[in-house]
Amino acid sequence: MVAIIEKRDLRDFDWLTTLLAIAIAAFGVWQIHNALPNESYWSKQIVGIGIALFAFFVIVFSDYRRIIDLAPFFYGFGLLLLALVLTPLGVEVNGQQAWVKLPVIGQFQPSEFAKIPTVLMLARYFGQKKGGALTIRETLVGVAILAGPVGLIMLEPDAGQAITYFPLLAAVLFLSGIKVRYVIGGLVLAAIMIPTAYYVGVQTGVIKRYQQERINAILDPESVDPRGYGYHTVQSVITVGKGGIAGIQGDSQTSQSVLKFLPEPQTDFIFAVTAENTGFVGCISLLLAYALLLSRMIAGAREANERPAMLVIMSIATALAFQIFMNMGMALGVLPVIGVPLPLMSAGLSALLTTFCAIGFVISIRMRRFVN
Amino acid sequence: MKLNDYTQNVGMRMIVIQVVAFVLLTLLGVRLYYLQIVHGDYWSGRAENQRVRLIPIPAPRGAILDRNGKILVDSRPTYNVVLSNEPLKTIDVSERVPEYARGLNLEPDFVTERLNLIKKQNEFEAMVLKESATMQDIAWVESHGLEFPELRIELQPQRFYPHGTMLAHVLGYVGEISPKQLEQDEYKSRGLRPGDIIGKGGLEQSYDQFLRGRPGYRKVLVDSRGRVQSEIEVVQPQAGQDLLSTIDLDLQTTAEQQLAASVTKRGVLIAMDPNNGEILALASAPSFDPNVFTQGSKTPEGRRQIAAYWQDKDRPLYNRAIQGKYPPGSTWKIPESMGALQQGAITVQNSNMTCGGGITIGNKFTRCMGSHGSPPLSYAITHSCDGYYYRLALKMKIEGLIQMIETFDFDKRSGIDIPNEKVSETPKSWKPLVEKREGRWSDIRTVYASIGQDTVVVTPISLLRAVASIGMHGKMYVPHLMKEFKPIGAMGEEGSSDYFAARPGFGFDRPEPKLIPMTDEQYDVVVKGMWGVVQGGGTGAGIRIPGFDIAGKTGTAQNSSLGSNGAKDHAWFVSFAPAFKPEIAVIGLIENVGFGGTHAAPAVKGVYETFIATRHGGVPPADASVEPRLVAKR
Repeated sequence: MVAIIEKRDLRDFDWLTTLLAIAIAAFGVWQIHNALPNESYWSKQIVGIGIALFAFFVIVFSDYRRIIDLAPFFYGFGLLLLALVLTPLGVEVNGQQAWVKLPVIGQFQPSEFAKIPTVLMLARYFGQKKGGALTIRETLVGVAILAGPVGLIMLEPDAGQAITYFPLLAAVLFLSGIKVRYVIGGLVLAAIMIPTAYYVGVQTGVIKRYQQERINAILDPESVDPRGYGYHTVQSVITVGKGGIAGIQGDSQTSQSVLKFLPEPQTDFIFAVTAENTGFVGCISLLLAYALLLSRMIAGAREANERPAMLVIMSIATALAFQIFMNMGMALGVLPVIGVPLPLMSAGLSALLTTFCAIGFVISIRMRRFVN
Repeated sequence: MKLNDYTQNVGMRMIVIQVVAFVLLTLLGVRLYYLQIVHGDYWSGRAENQRVRLIPIPAPRGAILDRNGKILVDSRPTYNVVLSNEPLKTIDVSERVPEYARGLNLEPDFVTERLNLIKKQNEFEAMVLKESATMQDIAWVESHGLEFPELRIELQPQRFYPHGTMLAHVLGYVGEISPKQLEQDEYKSRGLRPGDIIGKGGLEQSYDQFLRGRPGYRKVLVDSRGRVQSEIEVVQPQAGQDLLSTIDLDLQTTAEQQLAASVTKRGVLIAMDPNNGEILALASAPSFDPNVFTQGSKTPEGRRQIAAYWQDKDRPLYNRAIQGKYPPGSTWKIPESMGALQQGAITVQNSNMTCGGGITIGNKFTRCMGSHGSPPLSYAITHSCDGYYYRLALKMKIEGLIQMIETFDFDKRSGIDIPNEKVSETPKSWKPLVEKREGRWSDIRTVYASIGQDTVVVTPISLLRAVASIGMHGKMYVPHLMKEFKPIGAMGEEGSSDYFAARPGFGFDRPEPKLIPMTDEQYDVVVKGMWGVVQGGGTGAGIRIPGFDIAGKTGTAQNSSLGSNGAKDHAWFVSFAPAFKPEIAVIGLIENVGFGGTHAAPAVKGVYETFIATRHGGVPPADASVEPRLVAKR
């Protein structure tokens, strides 16, 4: 599968995007160290970056077109892994069976990996579309492709991961000529339906009390019990605010994460740790880095010479933007607490590997833009 | 753009996605600005508050000693099981109740109450779950450190009353400040907080602010579960001041024994130095054990014992010496006699009044216990002639009696330095009520009041004080239990935040007596009558101690008016000795036993015997005895 590396390939290799991704990941390692200096998460993350970069280069130097051709195979494999989670091989953590433990390979999170085959499958199907507005049949096929992994993830149940799949489809449908009036209609409908559904959910008890509390913590953080389910949000906001302009700059003995006030500091709340340690200056720099990364990806999509390639990049870029917003919004107390990792920053091999693979596709596509 | 497809307008749509993404990232930037730049200081403060804790270091409370320096109360080290607030914040505490109850042998209701309290008062770091922890308790807590990180063991001085029930009413006890007291300005102004130990009752309450030390604290860094990570600062506590009381432990022991040996085991014995008002002994029976209150309120057995004290019909918690109000019977005749002399109803030269074996008011005859002819005052005192006093009081009129009541302060508290003293009830307080109800104050009420019955009910302390003042030629001191507070040195460096200034020693603040005008002759005639009660074959002759002259007066008070039909009379004996140069004044009251000379006087004698034995080496003081020519004649 690995094509011969030609000189031309190297010339067109997108060094900036690659270095940007590595820089953000390295910054992440520093923050993981700040979060828990006495634990080994940061050193594991360095190993994780090494593994992820290996996978990244394998993908970069593979021909993405052949991989897209094989999409149904990867998609099936992804579903198989997700199904494996629900077997006794799955490992339950905090009431969610989201992990699989296999001999030799170890423990990993299939719901992260399955994003790649889902993107490829969507790109393969919608990439064949020639023109004109999106049909209902095409929409339904798109929904069906997404329903496979999302359905299995909801069985775990892991609502946070499931939500991150929707932007993949949304981007693809939007770029496949869905009528603007449907988009606007859908947004209006969502604006009405989400509060209504929430109200009905609360009344019928479908939305559980802790979920309700997490929403209340956003709407009215001062009145919510800071020791109850609002605890995560309140502590995260304290941690962020404490950072001030330039951060606490290494006084780790009194940091929110070392004293265990901030929960999950190395994963879900890594952005709060960043805010505490590097302050406003560090956070804005990070936001600019992400913005630059997304710009480079979208620029790659513009230059793509075929439809499936463009859809792969845009789908990935949209999903990354969405995850960044969800994660940071949660850390800043404007979105409810759901377990979405911050791409490239949060500790965890599964997410790191998936993100680097996704960026690998983007680079691969960009590198081959003049082929044919 | 290589994918030219105008119907889909793909290029534009990609721009839309990019713009939306950038707008969202910008919103995050705005939120960051708001949290970190605009409100950064506020959140820094919140973070600081939740990680820095002050752990109080309790100050040892001052000891209470008897006048000779013998220990009456002290503090000894005990271990408490303490509950931290922080780890409980995120858990459902009801799960802990059965665990704690079993592990620490506590009542589940009590555990629930404590957990609710600490949940409610979330500004407090910690609260005591169990006091006086046993070795088993300590071992249980230590071995469950991972399971229950909220529990820890703390050393705390515990109040200890080595003499148990003895002196309980004088000493009082200590306990945690109640939620009700916290609301009161008196406690608020002293900066007391929930969980603080304060004096309740007795000297512990009166002098709480001096006995109480000033607690120090440890400023520590804690993690989210409240576990101490490091120490930032330590301020050592300053101990409370030791209180030297006026109590003589030997006399007190005798007084308690005398009451315990009495028929009903209910009564009062007070011994006072009439020269300054120092209380040498104050016993009220039945009594209670203060240790039950300080140690027992957290255990099921202790709570049952406390409830039993409250429900006991003999009222052991009630200090009869200052709260009990009893008809004084014939003991009342002593201040009354002095009042009559002062007002001129009788004179030293002509003090005779008719006994007549009694008196008829309207169609009701009220009898005297004997037939005494027309005796002089001394004789009437010695032989307790009621008929004499019926006529004397009618001559004085009720206004005269009220004037006497005011002279001897029966209309106010004695001012003794322990809390909850009651005021006696007298014709002064009853007259307006009686006149309102019956239209007038009838003579029969004056007759009854003349022998300390009906509208007269007094506290033993007020009666002792009045009678002792006559032995002192009219010097009436404020009875008190505080002799001296010992000074204590300063703590910490002057000028620093942890500096506690030295606290100087001091004595009782009201040492000056009230002066009651009386001539030497008036003094002589009354005291001679009292001398005769014991020394001259009077109603208290049975307790005569050779070489040690006692001036006294018996009383046998009917209490049918209290509604206790068929109950026997209260027995009184009030006295001072040596008669003409008093060193000690003693009052005895035994409830519902009968004749004062038979029951109260012997109990008082016991106190005198101990006094002679301990103060004078068993030999009565010289010049204490006077010639028998003093014996009053008809």
